[in-house]
Amino acid sequence: MSSFLKIALRNLFKSPTTDPYPFGETFVPKGLRGKAKYNAGACIACRMCEHVCAGGAIQIREVADKSGLEFILWHNTCTFCGLCEYYCPTKAIRLTEDYHTAHRQEDKYRYVEKGFIKYVNCAGCGTPMVPISPELLQRAYENVNKEIEILRHLCPKCRQKRALR
Amino acid sequence: MKKILQKIAKKSPWLYRINAGSCNGCDVELATTACIPRYDVERLGCKYCGSPKHADIVLITGPLTARVKEKVLRLYEEIPEPKVTVAIGVCPISGGVFRDSYAITGPIDNFIPVDVNVPGCPPRPQAIIDGIIEAIKIWETRL
Ligand code: SF4
Ligand code: SF4
Ligand code: SF4
Repeated sequence: MSSFLKIALRNLFKSPTTDPYPFGETFVPKGLRGKAKYNAGACIACRMCEHVCAGGAIQIREVADKSGLEFILWHNTCTFCGLCEYYCPTKAIRLTEDYHTAHRQEDKYRYVEKGFIKYVNCAGCGTPMVPISPELLQRAYENVNKEIEILRHLCPKCRQKRALR
Repeated sequence: MKKILQKIAKKSPWLYRINAGSCNGCDVELATTACIPRYDVERLGCKYCGSPKHADIVLITGPLTARVKEKVLRLYEEIPEPKVTVAIGVCPISGGVFRDSYAITGPIDNFIPVDVNVPGCPPRPQAIIDGIIEAIKIWETRL
């Protein structure tokens, strides 16, 4: 009994152990996997993320007018597993530390992460193609020289032609 | 008298938890949110109750497996109106990783009107608290 009193007395002078959230600041453990964020500028539409996604949350498809590709990630089936980030070659998709996910039912299907990759035209023949992001070049080549910079704006066919010239 | 009761009741909704076949991940987070002093949801004026007849805000976890479906629906019927329903985790919302499995009949909103969704697999206690706050806001308008 006396030991209990001791603890009770000691706790009386300690600050509360309760996390002040939602009335105050809370903490985020480092490396926490929260909602995914997508950067269309770095994406090369390799569809690896769509392929590995455990929750089947990612869809990449061509828009109706065929002007580019649309990326959609539905947070309501994402498991925060991080496979997309792990396998993405350019790190165009990353998990943030934002885990605040509560929303009303009417927003259920609007609760998505979206992005649009606009096709560019090949500098040689003009065929529409997915632009090659600087992040991919950085990953593939240590130094991006002039020649590579020119190849970057060509479609695979024109690239082959130029390389074999 | 009714008015006074309504006013008081707004400040203290009772929470009730239904496990519709969850993997236990979300339930652990719910238990954490409820029971350990660090996250203490009772600060928001709500309290967990053991009987569906007392419940005001229903928290549902799990993808509604074929095996528990009837029991969950029966339990849900027993909760008096007005009630607010919160789906916790991606399972009840979309089926999560169990989507399209023969063993589940969810998503839950095919059978039960859901008001608030808290996705995550499982969601963090703070996200669950966010969801409960949202539910309390809806609860206040329904009384
Ligand atoms: S974190 Fe996992 S479930 Fe979520 S989008 Fe990435 S791969 Fe899919
Ligand atoms: S986000 Fe990454 S993995 Fe997904 S299509 Fe784009 S580049 Fe490929
Ligand atoms: S959402 Fe994830 S943690 Fe929660 S019950 Fe489903 S599988 Fe388990």
